[in-house]
Amino acid sequence: MSKYGLALLSLVIAIGAVVGYASLLRVPFIRNHPLLYVVAFALAAAIAAVATAQAPHWPNVTALALALVLLALGGYLNFVMARIPLGPSVLRVGQPAPDFTLPDAKGAPVTLASFRGRTPVVVVFYRGYW
Amino acid sequence: MLTELGDEGVQILAISPDPNERSQELAERLKARYRFLSDRDLAITKRYGLLHAGGGPKGQDVPAPATIVLDRDGLVRWLTVADNYQVRPDPADVARAVRAIK
Repeated sequence: MSKYGLALLSLVIAIGAVVGYASLLRVPFIRNHPLLYVVAFALAAAIAAVATAQAPHWPNVTALALALVLLALGGYLNFVMARIPLGPSVLRVGQPAPDFTLPDAKGAPVTLASFRGRTPVVVVFYRGYW
Repeated sequence: MLTELGDEGVQILAISPDPNERSQELAERLKARYRFLSDRDLAITKRYGLLHAGGGPKGQDVPAPATIVLDRDGLVRWLTVADNYQVRPDPADVARAVRAIK
């Protein structure tokens, strides 16, 4: 291991977490565990902190600073920005879903109750493109 | 997203406040068994208790991402509501819930 092996390891973990999360968003397990990148940044920061404590040289300090910035940004994204406050749900398993009629892409009205007795329905609410 | 459900004999209704034209574009691009429904004023989103007030990037109201599986009687059999917008249900879990109805 080179003189700055720990700093290098910290950088690889931190950058790897960014690249890995961004490139594996289509994998449900990765997408649904955003805490993984926060943990990776924390690990990178801890390793760089150990390296800096052993030798406060600029490569170690730089790795520590980068990991801490990523940890702050990632923590903010995951715990503050992406958080959705949920009110009490009106939906209960085993209970009927509220009926609705909404226009489809061609403007034709679609009523949820019209599928009763015919087919199961998956209702997906999504945020849209904005 | 839910292409796993393509041959399952299930109707997927995808609801967002997007204007119809944009949903239409998406529907044609995906060629999926989706019907895209437009909830422009979020009235249905509110009725379902899924309003994320000010949650859009420009501070506009958006729905909390949710997936609800209904059986042929219109009863809720499975549901998930995201409390973090990075998270989406695993399509395999949704497909399993639909298959459990058969």
